[in-house]
Amino acid sequence: MGRPSEAAGMEALHQLKSTEPPQWLAPSASLSESARAASQHLFASLRPHVRKSPFDELLVDNFDAEQIWQQIDLLTQPLVRSIRRRVKHWEKNPAEIENLLPEVADGGKKVAQGKKMEEIDDDDDDDGGDMDMDDDDDDDDEEMDVDNDGEQDGGKDEGDESEEEEEEKSGGIEDKFLKIKELQEHLEDEEARHYGLDAKNKKSKKKSGSKKLEDEDDDSEEGEEDKEEDDDEDEEVDLFAGGDDEDEEDEMGNARYEDFFGKKKGGSEPKPRFKDELGEDSSSGEEEKEEELSSDDDDDEEEDDDENVNKKPKVLSTHEKEVQKIKSEIEKMEKANLDPKTWTMQGEVTAANRPKNSALEVDLDFEHNVRPVPVITEEVTQSLEEIIKKRIIEGQFDDIKRAPGLPSKAPRELKPVDENKSNKGLAEVYEEEFVQQTDPAAAPLSFSDEQKKEIIEDMSIQSNVPALAMEEIAPVAVSDAAMLAPEEVFSGKGNVKAEVELTQTERKRRRAKKKRKFKAVETKKMASKKAREDELRKQKEGTLLVVQVTHLCCQINVMLNQKL
Amino acid sequence: MLRRNVRLRREYLYRKSLEGKERIRYENKRKIAEALQEGKPIPTELRNVEAELRAEIDLEDDKTAVPRSYIDDEYATATEKDPKILLTTSRDPSAPLVQFVKELKIVFPNAERINRGGQVISEIIESCRSHDFTDVILVHEHRGVPDGMIISHLPFGPTAYFGLLNVVTRHDIKDKKAIGTMSEAYPHLILDNFNTKLGERTANILKHLFPVPKPDTKRILTFANQSDYISFRHHVYEKRGGPKSVELREIGPRFEMRLYQVTLGYRNQLGSCGSCL
Repeated sequence: MGRPSEAAGMEALHQLKSTEPPQWLAPSASLSESARAASQHLFASLRPHVRKSPFDELLVDNFDAEQIWQQIDLLTQPLVRSIRRRVKHWEKNPAEIENLLPEVADGGKKVAQGKKMEEIDDDDDDDGGDMDMDDDDDDDDEEMDVDNDGEQDGGKDEGDESEEEEEEKSGGIEDKFLKIKELQEHLEDEEARHYGLDAKNKKSKKKSGSKKLEDEDDDSEEGEEDKEEDDDEDEEVDLFAGGDDEDEEDEMGNARYEDFFGKKKGGSEPKPRFKDELGEDSSSGEEEKEEELSSDDDDDEEEDDDENVNKKPKVLSTHEKEVQKIKSEIEKMEKANLDPKTWTMQGEVTAANRPKNSALEVDLDFEHNVRPVPVITEEVTQSLEEIIKKRIIEGQFDDIKRAPGLPSKAPRELKPVDENKSNKGLAEVYEEEFVQQTDPAAAPLSFSDEQKKEIIEDMSIQSNVPALAMEEIAPVAVSDAAMLAPEEVFSGKGNVKAEVELTQTERKRRRAKKKRKFKAVETKKMASKKAREDELRKQKEGTLLVVQVTHLCCQINVMLNQKL
Repeated sequence: MLRRNVRLRREYLYRKSLEGKERIRYENKRKIAEALQEGKPIPTELRNVEAELRAEIDLEDDKTAVPRSYIDDEYATATEKDPKILLTTSRDPSAPLVQFVKELKIVFPNAERINRGGQVISEIIESCRSHDFTDVILVHEHRGVPDGMIISHLPFGPTAYFGLLNVVTRHDIKDKKAIGTMSEAYPHLILDNFNTKLGERTANILKHLFPVPKPDTKRILTFANQSDYISFRHHVYEKRGGPKSVELREIGPRFEMRLYQVTLGYRNQLGSCGSCL
């Protein structure tokens, strides 16, 4: 990458200077290019003054802003330190400045001195920190190195002069923006307010003390000075807990609003301003008072606006309005949170803890684990009846069915076993078995015929022997078995009634029956008689016929015989 | 009698405890049978028991193949015997409750009603056992309206607690002629929409309150389940116009039942156990 020429670098610088502030808001390639070129040029111009630095030139191609800044930082840090050292040195030995910068006028020299003083004071005022310590150490070293002894007196004298002329020189550098003395005083006031008035007194004492020390003609002056300054700076280091960043931006770091836009009505502006803002916020919380206060505040604001170029407009922007709204809502909600809760939001509430009849108005939400009771309507009944009818038509019912009996035992088979005594003797039985086993052919084909022969029904005649026969003198052994059983004797059927038990109708019925029977018998008899008589007659006739026939035959015979 | 019942109950519980193991064996047998049928290799976890299980599979017939579930085992012998029911009320019943119980006596065939008097539940159960009752039904009320029914199966059987709602009794219907008399034939039963396990159990409890009917009876009792509410209806039907037309005539009380508890024993509703086994 080629290092741009000086002219290009200066051009880039000018371009940067000329760009409008709003243009910086959006990232732009051309601006970044020119910024890089400018920083490269500046780097190059500074490089010769630094004794040792890792970079000979600033590398900007494809480097991050952070990385470029780091490079600049590496270069400028030792440079700034050395410059500071030198400045301090010149502060003590103003004569040397004349040597270095002969063209600068006395006023300028004094200005430089005053600047130095203010710088130191500013350092003190600001968060001095380590750099100051380092500077002091360096200072000591420098002073050892540099031949200062001869010039101490001169430094002293000029220190006196510098005091007096401090107030005079203000016209040179400062303009309406940068009233350094006022700035100083203001800062001191601020600090006094912050840390109490003693500090202010201390400061002035220190200042005057340091100046007095300078007046003395001791060799150890500077040492004491230094010590004082050291002490001061130590004290101030203690008082102001430091950040290193501010030391580097000495020129820019102490810039305040007032530096740019001038002071407002003495040093008391911030306080009422702050109060105004407070007033506004509190009023925005209370709607009723808002208008009254805001009008007052607006008036104040307007006054402020007139004095200073105030960013806050008279009419609130939409954002401001929204913010106000949200704030008011937040206030409301916070207030509601602080109030005790309504009874519906408290956990378990009994009747005593809530207002009367309040549970009736509230929509209470229960979890029901039971379905609601069914209301039996016509439709429900209809549907049920439909189901029933369907089942009836199908014939599908859910009755219990008789379980089929378990076949635990097979039914006993009763074989017809003959209970009578066997006619064959046991020997004969064995004989037949043996024959069958040995010679199946010899055995008869089946035993069944013989068995059949044997099973002859024993017919015994049972006569109706009267029981009284038993009581004869020589009793015939008649067993009960020989006699007929009562049912064998009795020849009737159905409900037998004695004559006395009969009703009239029954008697009549019996008589009619008897007569019928008798008649039947009689007719039978008559019929048989008739049959017999008919037969007899027929026989007679037959015989007569026979007799006649035989008679005829005899006659014939006789006739025949006669002829013979 | 008491010792016999204790023994029976212990047997039942023991058999129920074996059910788990039985089920596992059944599952394994089924897996093996499947594997054999499809020609797949037998799963490794069953290799050890494979031999004996296979022998058992061969010896099984269709009755022994499926493992017996012991859930409704209390009703195992119920089909051999007709049920005998005892109906009674809570103490000091009001007149409407007594009427309702009278109606229920006619609804359940083979039912007896007794006055409660001052008897303790355990006494009632003792007397039931000695007289060989199979079920006890207790009816409770609230200011004349029947609101609870407890059905207990007696030889150590389950107890079901129902709440009664929307009760309409025959006595409420003033016109006696319209209703007519109640048929006392053994009824057909319709148990509709009892699908879950609990539903099956409840259906069993209700079923075994009734004896085996003749196939051609005209009397129908319906227990229809709709969103956990069981509707009880009592009809008599006629097939006048032909086989497909059915005319229903409702007789008897109608009510909705809601089951709220089923217990294993027959502990009475007061909490003291009928018999702590």
